[in-house]
Amino acid sequence: MKQPNAAFVQARYQPEQYHEQARDYFQHLIRIFAENLENMNRHQAVRTIFIFFLLLIQVIFISQIFKEHTHSLGTVAILAVLSILVLITHLRGKIHHKDHAYEHILVAVWIPVGALITFYLNHFLKLGPVLSAALLGSAASFIPNLRKHSHYLQQLPAAFYCGAFIGMSSSGVAPNFLFVATASIFTALLLIISKNLFAGVGGKLGTLAFAGVVITSFIFFLVSSYV
Amino acid sequence: MYNLCILFLTGFISPILTFYVNEGLKQGPVRSSAVLSLLVGLYFHLFPQSMDSYLVSNIPIVFIGGSFIGMVSSRILSNYLLLGTAGLIFCLIYINASQFFKGYGGAVGTASAIALLAALSIPVFTKKQRLTNGIMLLRKTLFGTARRQ
Repeated sequence: MKQPNAAFVQARYQPEQYHEQARDYFQHLIRIFAENLENMNRHQAVRTIFIFFLLLIQVIFISQIFKEHTHSLGTVAILAVLSILVLITHLRGKIHHKDHAYEHILVAVWIPVGALITFYLNHFLKLGPVLSAALLGSAASFIPNLRKHSHYLQQLPAAFYCGAFIGMSSSGVAPNFLFVATASIFTALLLIISKNLFAGVGGKLGTLAFAGVVITSFIFFLVSSYV
Repeated sequence: MYNLCILFLTGFISPILTFYVNEGLKQGPVRSSAVLSLLVGLYFHLFPQSMDSYLVSNIPIVFIGGSFIGMVSSRILSNYLLLGTAGLIFCLIYINASQFFKGYGGAVGTASAIALLAALSIPVFTKKQRLTNGIMLLRKTLFGTARRQ
């Protein structure tokens, strides 16, 4: 068996250098751990803010119904029960994935496309909101068939359908393409940060679209008030 | 009253049908919702005289709203009766919907999400000890403690 060269061993094994390397290595590990912790905190913050934001949107939606039906005791009672039930589901928190993930921007970018096409079908071809959204959704649902193994194409129908909900807005709310495009951008941002939140919950895309339209309406209202 | 019954029936059937096409026939959530809504929308677009004008304008919206509920993943909800209940809750919200948000895109989706979230908490109250169990779980969720009975 070949013996290792003594000079080589002596040159390789230098305790001071080894300790320095070990210290650098541990410092590096601690730095990575701290960065991960910081990222985790940031993701947790994004996650919490988004859940509260969506809850706020739902509260606004329900409270507006409350406001208009204060004279009807039955409706108020039903809405109160409904609010408690929704709150229980939110607090149980079994509708979110534990890991936080972001949707790819190249998926979200199709939301404005879906919104503008639906808006055109709805208002210019006079097909009505349901038919326009359903037509676009049906067409978009066949996109994955173009390349069945493409993971990217499989995600596009949901993005198109989410955009279609924005295009369903009436002309009183969304007067032009600029409004629709702005609402789509807000909705796309919400979709990006909510990949693993409310995953698989029916109505999630509609809620995101609604949030986008409400934010845009508010901004347009502010702009028209001050400009 | 007759019109409301038809709307509630639509709200009950729509999520069940969509869920069946989605999970049973493996067509995916978007296709199952969009294609069924397209069929209903197309019917009332081509034959607007087939029913009362109130139903002609409202059935497609209730149907598409119900179909959003049916897009739910089987991981979250797979009980057809609960899906139908969520559809009925949606219909209730839709009928009492705020005039303020009329015409807002996604309002129907928001109502669907609220209806589904409400329906998802129903099993809490229908387990073995029914209401007592539900109230204990609610107390535990809200205050972090549940007294032993």
